[in-house]
This record gives sequence, C-alpha cells and structure tokens, in this order.
Amino acid sequence: MSTSVDDTVVSDANDVPPPRSRGTARPGRLARRRERAGWLFIAPNLLAVLVFLLFPLGFSLYLSFHSWDLFSPPRFVGTANYRRLFASDPLFLIALRNTAVFTVLTLLPTVVIGLVVAAVLNRKVFGIGLFRTMAFLPLVASTVAMAVVWRFIFTTDDGLLNIVLGWFGVDPVPWLTDPDWALVSLSIVTVWKSVPFATVILLAAMQGVPETLYEAAKIDGAGAVRRFRSVTLPLIRGPLSFVFVITVINSVQAFDQAYALTGGNGGPETGTYLLGIMLFQHAFGFYEVGYASALAWVIFAILLVLTVLQLRLSRREETEL
Amino acid sequence: MRRRTLLGSALAAPLLANACGSDDDALTFFFQARPEEARVRLRIIDEFRKRHPDIPVRTIMSGPDPLQQMLTYCAGGKCPDVLMAWELLYAGLAERGVLLDLDTLLDRDPHYAAELRRDSFPALYDTFTYGGGQYALPEQWSGVFLYYNRAMFADAGLTPPTRWGDAWSFEEFLDAARALTRRDGDGRTTRWGFADAWVPYFSAACFGMNNGAEWFTPSVNPTRTNVGDPRFAEGFQFYADLAVRHRVAPRVADQQSVSAPDLFRRGRAAMALGGHWLYSEFAGNEGVPIDLTVLPVGPHGGPGSITDVGCTGLSIAADSPRIEQAWEFVKFATGPVGQAIVAASGLFVPVLQSAMATPGFAAAHREIRNLEVMTDGPANSRPLPVTPMWGKVSALLERGGNRVLRGAATAQSLGGRLAADVDALLGAP
Repeated sequence: MSTSVDDTVVSDANDVPPPRSRGTARPGRLARRRERAGWLFIAPNLLAVLVFLLFPLGFSLYLSFHSWDLFSPPRFVGTANYRRLFASDPLFLIALRNTAVFTVLTLLPTVVIGLVVAAVLNRKVFGIGLFRTMAFLPLVASTVAMAVVWRFIFTTDDGLLNIVLGWFGVDPVPWLTDPDWALVSLSIVTVWKSVPFATVILLAAMQGVPETLYEAAKIDGAGAVRRFRSVTLPLIRGPLSFVFVITVINSVQAFDQAYALTGGNGGPETGTYLLGIMLFQHAFGFYEVGYASALAWVIFAILLVLTVLQLRLSRREETEL
Repeated sequence: MRRRTLLGSALAAPLLANACGSDDDALTFFFQARPEEARVRLRIIDEFRKRHPDIPVRTIMSGPDPLQQMLTYCAGGKCPDVLMAWELLYAGLAERGVLLDLDTLLDRDPHYAAELRRDSFPALYDTFTYGGGQYALPEQWSGVFLYYNRAMFADAGLTPPTRWGDAWSFEEFLDAARALTRRDGDGRTTRWGFADAWVPYFSAACFGMNNGAEWFTPSVNPTRTNVGDPRFAEGFQFYADLAVRHRVAPRVADQQSVSAPDLFRRGRAAMALGGHWLYSEFAGNEGVPIDLTVLPVGPHGGPGSITDVGCTGLSIAADSPRIEQAWEFVKFATGPVGQAIVAASGLFVPVLQSAMATPGFAAAHREIRNLEVMTDGPANSRPLPVTPMWGKVSALLERGGNRVLRGAATAQSLGGRLAADVDALLGAP
C-alpha cells in the first residue's frame, strides 16, 4: 500500500502509448506536449532565476570593471577597482580581518551549541515539543527586530546582560561602545540567530541514525558521550559539513544584524566594519557601485575557496572512514 | 441587474480615472521630519493648496537615512519633484545632475530673485551655492544652540548669556554644568548639567570652531581640514572632557538607554544642545520651563559665540516633469508668504529677515525670553563643509571623533593620520 504513489509515478513514466497503425507520429506529439508542459511548469522559476540571479550576477561582474555612480554612464576602468581594493584601501584589510574574526567567533559556537541542542532535543522526554519550539523561535524572528532587542540587552549601565553579570560581581562590560567588545556582541547575536538552523539540520540527521547501532553500542558498554562520539558524529558528518559551509557563508555575508546593532559605518570606530558593511557603504553611501561590485566578487571568490576547501576536507575524511 | 452593474461601472470609471489621474499628477514632496514637525509641515502644505488648488501635493516622508532614500528614488527614475536638501548632503546630488540649478528659474524673474536675495541671510543662501549654481533655496535655519531649564538655573543662582555677542567662556560654562549636576549617595548621576541632543562629533566641532579655528578651509569645496589645528583640537577636547573627565554630561555608554532629548524633557538634564527641531518637543512640558542660551567660547575664540550654518532647503529634481508646479511650491515655502506662515507656525526658524521680524514668530515662541538666540542665529552662523565627498569624510571623522569622545585618545590625535586621510580625500594640494 505504501508504495502505491511510487508505483504510479513509475507506471506513468513508463506509460508508452499503444502503437497505432499510422506510425510513430502520435507518441512523438505526446512526448513533445509533455516536454512543453514541463517547460511551462518551470518557466516562472526559470524566469525568476534569470532575472533575479543570473542577470544581476553578470551585471555586477560587468560593473566591477567600471566606475559607476548610479547616474552617469558607467566608465570602463579595467581592473582598477580590484587593484584599489588590494593595494590601496586600508579599510579592506580591516574589513577582511574583522570578517575572519567574526566568522571564527560565530562558526565554532554555532556548530558546538547546535550539536548539543540537537542532541538534547533528540531525546524522548516529556514536553520535548515545547522545548523544540522554544529552541527554533530565533529562526523565525526578524533579524533587525532581534538586533534592536539585543541593543537594549547590551546596554552598558542598565542592560540585562550587565545586570546579570553584576550579580556575580563582574564589572559592566562595554558591549557596544568598545570596538573589540562590539565584534564579540555581534557574534553573540549571530550565534543566537544561527543556532536554530544548525539544530534543525543536525536534529534531522540524528533522527536518521538507526536505533540498532545505539543498542549495539549500549550492549558493548558505551556510555552516552561515547555513543555520541562514536556513533552519532560519524553518521551525521555530511549534514555537519553542510552546517559548517552554510554558517561560514552567512558569516562572511553578514550585514543586516551589524547594520541594526552598530550602525551603517561599522562602528564604534572600525570595530564591526565587516565586508558586508563595506559593500553597502560604498554602493549606497559613496555612490561607488563599480567598486562595491568588485568587492562583491572578491567576497564570492573567498566563499568559493572556503566552500571547496571544506568539501574536499569532508570528502577526504569520509574516505578515511 | 446587468444594467445596474453597467451603470455603476460607467459612473465609477470617471471617478477612478480621476483618482488615478490626480495621484499621477500630484507634485511629490520628499522630506524628513519628527512627528511634531510633520504635523505642522502638513499645515503649510494645506496653506499652499488653498492658494494653488490646481496643484495637488503628495508627501513622501523620509526614513532614517534620507540621502540613501533619495539616491534610490532618483537612480531608479522616480525622483520626487521637490526634495528637502541638507547643507552637508546636497553637493553630491548636485554634482551628479540630480538637482536642478534654480538659477535657471530665478533668472526668468530677476525682480523676485533680487528681492529674495536682499531678504535672505547670505550665510544661508550661499550654503546652497555650489559650482556656480543655486541647487536649493534655504527653508529653515537649523543651527544649534543651548536649551536650558530656567527653574534649575534659577535654583542654582545662575544666569546664562542671552545673546551671541555676550558669550560665556569655557570655564564659566563648565562651572555652571558642574553646579547643575546632581549625584546620589552611590555616586550615580541623577541630573546632568549638560546633554547633547545633536550628533556628538558635529557638536564637538562647534566647540572647536568656538575656539578660533574653522573646521574646513574653504567651506565650499574644501581642500583641507583643520581638525589638527591646536585651537580646534583644544575646543574638541573640552567638549569630550565634559563627559569623560568632568562627568557633567552623559558618556557614550550613558546615552545607550536614554536619549538626550528625553533626559532634558524629563528634567534629568539642565541644558541640552540642539536646534529648533527640538522646540516642539521641549516647549509646553509641565515643570520644565525652557529658555535659550548660546554656546561657550574658548580662550582663542570670540569675542562673540558662533554656531554652525545648519540649514535645510528645498530643491527641485532636474528631471521632474512638473518643474513649474514644483517651482510654485518652492517659491511659496521659501518666499516671503510661506516663510511668514512657517514663522508663525513655530515649525522652524525662518530664513528671511522679514519673516524673522514678524510678530507671528515671537508669538509662536512665547515661552522663550531669549528669542534673540534664534533670531540672531543665522547672522552668527559659520559654514559647514560643502563637498560631494562628504559621505567619506563624515565616515572618517566619525571614526576618529568617536575615539576621542569615548576617551580612548586625545583630540591632538585628530591632527595625525585622520587629518592626512581627510586631506587626501579632499585632494589637498
């Protein structure tokens, strides 16, 4: 019974019309009609991909070799934008360093906390549905709204965080007013926002691990931690690698939470000056769309290299298994 | 039944067409305003409609970043017909041909142009003159001054100066701020002597200018900054020290949870630095009687006190299909009739001498005794830099300025790398 849907699909796919006396014209027409219907079905999506993805991609690459202020006609400048980025813009290095630090500060906690939360939510205890809902709430919150709320939490004198720290005798931390702390604060907010997504993926993967393996491990005398390390982790390596890649991509592309939390200039000073903020500032603050496009392609290149490296590493580990 | 539907449609069609048509034909006016200001601004638009019923006006309120919004509208081909212009921001749009050179319209009516020029304050009118064109007509003077709580000053036995020419010194100002600051037994501040409701590094620059050094040279299309001038740095440092060293003003961290206007309005600050845009918020609050005084002058400044030009104007989009209607609106709002109306509305400080002298202006600010702080403000204003590079310059200044304002560096440091970077941006010879 449970295979009826699959059977229908298979039978549909193999549904060759009976031969007719007037040759092969009919089946050909049907196949063409089906193909046409197929194209018709995917046409809106295909059009959207063309208009909103491929065209902007190509246009931004074109613009990255031009100087354009949105109003005058674009002027071809060759690789000048890229040369300026690497050779003469000190803020690019600051943005790159900040983004690298921010990515590390975000990536590790997101993965570790995501794993722990997923492992906890994977247990069959009373009220787990409620806990799961609570754990996934940040996923549906608007980034800007939650950044505004976090601004209040991070307030130096009357902020919730410093009040709680005060109970333990810790002096107030200048969460958003000190450049170094501001990047840490931004990372905390981003981790809070990213953990639910990591948890969803990892929890789904954990629920796919056969129960029999755990039972066998239990019989062999493995404790909960050992079972997690030797059974769960190896079997969710694929999804774990996916979470790694996605978190890195999100961190390098981070913009909205930084904009809402510490402003469009990446302040205080250059504390939260990330690549995303730099891109926005040049495109919409300084009218340098060509330069911003060059930066966008550099970000793309960085992400491509990181993703390929990560995929290679995870593949190598898989073969070692 | 069918006939009735058809009849209904036939009747509705012209109405719909009219509605759509009126929407399409309306003159679009883009501006930024606080809620209190916006309400009064709508009254001015109503006055214009009464005189020009054939020109419908559709308002577009700006979000928190008006420049970015204007840029998006205009680059996308939907530039509002009339745009509010800020003295620091308009040059970039003017240089890119977004704004119409209003001289092309003024030249058609030399009599009106001459009359307008004669009635204007030169500092305000000229701040919108860039590259030989007039890209906006001033609409309001928004230079800064000090609001003070009259009751608190009286309790402390203090009398602040009442005119720009009778400035108080940095020392006298600091003494007053100290006397007005209150702390509880735990050392927590319950009342600040001074709170800044403007942009801190702009305010600090005003203190620098009041110590005898201009911010940029020349003011239009500047080629260098004077943030490294020892006199400017001393004034800037004095401002920073009010919070960092003397603790008579909230530090950056103190302002995270409560804004300066709120502090003043709730009686938790004795003085607040800001412009007329705060008047409608501060006036008429029970228990907080307000008056105005001027900025203090440093040892190298004076004799009188000065402020920034602080001016907004009205521009017309160069590609507007309704330039004639837009010109009527701009003439109304910036000309003698419109300015007299806004002067009486208490919306802002008018930019025409004739409007400033109207009884309506004084009546709209009855709560204020030192009205000369407002009326003489434009004449005591000094220009802020007008450059298409302002976006980049401002980002650099904010970074360098914040470092000093949170006490991580001294103002002398501004003269090093920061000044060199700004000068390089401006193309210093």
